[in-house]
Amino acid sequence: MPGRSLAMRLLLLPLALLLLSAPVTADNATEITDIEWVTNMDDPPIGDPAAQKGGTFYTSMRAYPLTLRLVGPNSNDGFAAWKRAYTMGLSLVKRHPTTDNYIPVMVTHWSVQSDGRTIYYKLDPDALWSDGEPVTAEDYVHTWHMMQSENIVDPSINQYARDYYEEVVALEPYLLKVVGKSESWRPLDMFDLWATPKHAVTLEEGFPERYNNTVLPVQGPYVLTEQVAGQYVVFERLKDWWGYGKHYMQGVYNVDRIRIRVIDDNDRAFDFFKKGELSYYRVNTAKKWAEEMEFDAIKKGWAHRKRLFIDYPQGVYGFAMNLEKPIFQHKDFRKAIQYLFNFQEINEKLMANAYYQQVSAFTGTEYENRDLVPYGFDPRKAREHLRAAGFEKRGEDGILVDADGNRASFTLSYGSKGLERHMTVVKQTFQRFGVEMELRLLEPGTNFRNGLEREFEMTIVGRTAGLYPAPYQYFSSELKETKNNNNVWAFGTAHTDSLIDVYRFDTDKEQRVAAMYELDAIIQDEAFYVPFWQAPFIRFLYTDAIVFPEFLFPKRTEQLTDWQVFWIDEQRAERLEKAMAADQSLGEDTAVDVDPYLVKDRIEAALRAAAAR
Amino acid sequence: MMGLRLNPITLKRLTRFRRIRRGFYSFVVLAALTVLSLFSNYIANRRAIVVSYEGTLYFPTFQYHDMATFDQQDEYGFDDVEADYLALQNRLDAEDQGNWVLMPLVPFDPYEPDFNYDESPPNPPDGRHWFGTDSQGRDVFARLLYGFRISIFFAAALVFVGQAAGTAIGSLQGFLGGRFDIYSQRFIEVWSTLPFLYVVILLATFFKPGFLLLLAIMSLFEWIRMTYYMRTEMYREKTKEYCLAARSFGASRTRLIFRHLLPNCLTPLVTITPFAVVGGISALTALDYLGYGLPAPTPSWGEMIDQALSSQNRDKLWLSVAPFSAISITLLLVTLIGESIREAFDPKQYAHYR
Repeated sequence: MPGRSLAMRLLLLPLALLLLSAPVTADNATEITDIEWVTNMDDPPIGDPAAQKGGTFYTSMRAYPLTLRLVGPNSNDGFAAWKRAYTMGLSLVKRHPTTDNYIPVMVTHWSVQSDGRTIYYKLDPDALWSDGEPVTAEDYVHTWHMMQSENIVDPSINQYARDYYEEVVALEPYLLKVVGKSESWRPLDMFDLWATPKHAVTLEEGFPERYNNTVLPVQGPYVLTEQVAGQYVVFERLKDWWGYGKHYMQGVYNVDRIRIRVIDDNDRAFDFFKKGELSYYRVNTAKKWAEEMEFDAIKKGWAHRKRLFIDYPQGVYGFAMNLEKPIFQHKDFRKAIQYLFNFQEINEKLMANAYYQQVSAFTGTEYENRDLVPYGFDPRKAREHLRAAGFEKRGEDGILVDADGNRASFTLSYGSKGLERHMTVVKQTFQRFGVEMELRLLEPGTNFRNGLEREFEMTIVGRTAGLYPAPYQYFSSELKETKNNNNVWAFGTAHTDSLIDVYRFDTDKEQRVAAMYELDAIIQDEAFYVPFWQAPFIRFLYTDAIVFPEFLFPKRTEQLTDWQVFWIDEQRAERLEKAMAADQSLGEDTAVDVDPYLVKDRIEAALRAAAAR
Repeated sequence: MMGLRLNPITLKRLTRFRRIRRGFYSFVVLAALTVLSLFSNYIANRRAIVVSYEGTLYFPTFQYHDMATFDQQDEYGFDDVEADYLALQNRLDAEDQGNWVLMPLVPFDPYEPDFNYDESPPNPPDGRHWFGTDSQGRDVFARLLYGFRISIFFAAALVFVGQAAGTAIGSLQGFLGGRFDIYSQRFIEVWSTLPFLYVVILLATFFKPGFLLLLAIMSLFEWIRMTYYMRTEMYREKTKEYCLAARSFGASRTRLIFRHLLPNCLTPLVTITPFAVVGGISALTALDYLGYGLPAPTPSWGEMIDQALSSQNRDKLWLSVAPFSAISITLLLVTLIGESIREAFDPKQYAHYR
């Protein structure tokens, strides 16, 4: 395998040189004549075409947004998701949230060149800014210029522009060319861009202050119409939004008004929901879900709860052992720890049995090796491995000691006080079988940095994931040699590097999947990562006025408001209002657990199968 | 201080303190509790106090004995894990062959979770756990008891170090005066502006936190307050006639300080000390509450309060009643003692001229 990847790189080298030396500003007309245009109109619409428009959706956010800009200081706060989904950040081409195929958003056609980094887009001539101006290729070039500009005072965006984009060119008003920095097998995801209204935004000095609270023309379906500092903001739907006629945009963005109120405390938001002042509330803890759901509005059928099983990657979450530390250099000791981690007990006793064990390092992605068997709690096997690691005798305090007098003891650093109660239980279990785990709570930022710097023996890593795993940044041996990266365990061999290279550069999906399955199995066998649990669902409450389509929601839902496939039924809203005023019960109940994409079944079946093996 | 002979005034003050009953009884109760807490390991523990097995006496309280010692086995067939003394007691009682186990009053330690309930923890008080269990299934009474021991001895040690250092430095400042006083006072001003909490958090990232480290860090700040009082006392006392008289008799500096000045400067030390203890207990509790005190799973009142106040446990009353009453009672006792001492030492009672 290593030979193969080298050969591949050698093959690519002349190609890359050729591309770099090619005159990019050549005759545009000739350049685009032989392009093969691609589009996809065969997938179902994202929403339900029968959805009704109208109504007001009340929700909350933790803090009032510091700015309305998409770039610059403070722009990456919790409000950014709202801005991107509803007003400004629309993609050129996006993956269909249910089928995963590419679908046109701001374009009609696109064309990816064989170099894996040059893309041509035919922009949709129907696309308009909310002030009536057309969205043109120049607006995308403007975004690129903005990303490069130092006047936006946003070094990370500047860096992003440098790392990802070679050039962005407006060939014709509706013909855009984007060239990425390096080749990728998914350039449409990697080199996506959004539009910035060139006629309304200048990049001169003072950009952050000038646009801090300016409501700019939008290409999305919502405009911000009200903002009361510290209290709430209101988005209003553009009744004549250009996108509503498009095939995929049927049945999405249905609500007329979205009022987002600032409620800084999650428990207070819950109280607001109970009183009927919010339309939606997301439940974040298993205990709350198990114990606090029997309130008045639910009993009377004014509100409902749902646990939606979603197919979304879970990210790395669990114990990370530092392979640079002597205690964890013995593989048998690491395996013993795996066998002593009693997930079942924690889940049952502390988390109301709400979660599922993670097994893979790539849980929830297409590259998750579902044939892996979790270690499971098994003190007998743990003892065999401890013996193999030299820990046979117990010392006077009951902790195992090896022949050289080393104690089976290490320190766990962690940054989340919320995990302390789980960790003390784990500690007691370890101790019973002769392994000492000292607990050390650090300030979260310090713990995160110590992780990157590998200044720990064992720590808890938790990282969010995108649709595609990023094995290079977690498991590459190149990163093992340096610090300040996500390879917290200091893992990596020539063989695993070659597997990662296959994933990164091979255009054949089967090859990539096979490589990642092997990598996943190696990671499990090396036992330096003890995966915790996964929550493949969203638990939330909503009022009776909200209606979901028959398919409920797209498969890759991360936030319910992402595409907004639900709608508010005016009649139900009226009925609810009357019932609440008269204190009458609506008496209807809906299913709590919904799993249209059979995620729960799949996970439970995999765990059962693993248990049987 | 040890070498000082009690002068009649001090004796009178002590008698007076004994006569202020609420203070004196508080002192007795607190002292009794403190002494009792030294024996926590014999009061609440899952290890037995004494085991008589096959003719041998075992005292497992501070000693690890595996199951093999008592011919036990756990559910995995292991016999090198720690002996289960409750099960052993049941077995030996049933066998009735002259072997016996003496268990502590509360057969639970403050660390081991008890998951023998159908409901997930925290479980409300019952005959098994008098004060219920916390959110990890640990016995609340045991944690309260061990937490008291840690709090009171931590505070005592902290106050001892702080008052001793503060008295020494403050006295020197007052006695020597001059350049030493000016420079050290500027240093104290700078030092006292350091944000204590941040220093603790910062140091906790470099060193493994523990009882002694925390004590050392907090002592770095504890001595400051005392210097102010001792400095002013010394300044005042050293100019009084008795001091000048002693000096004119040729008394050495040492004699002057220890024999004449210190005994007359002791009032602030004695009256402030109980309140310093209150401060010490509160500081440790606050730090534990924030999570930067003694590392988990050390039984601590701050950690118990943190659990009680978390939103998930809003309706679990026993979690808040126990630590809050314990803290209130302890602080009340110490405060009552302090207040009585202050009253007993009040110089106004000896004033002849008004």
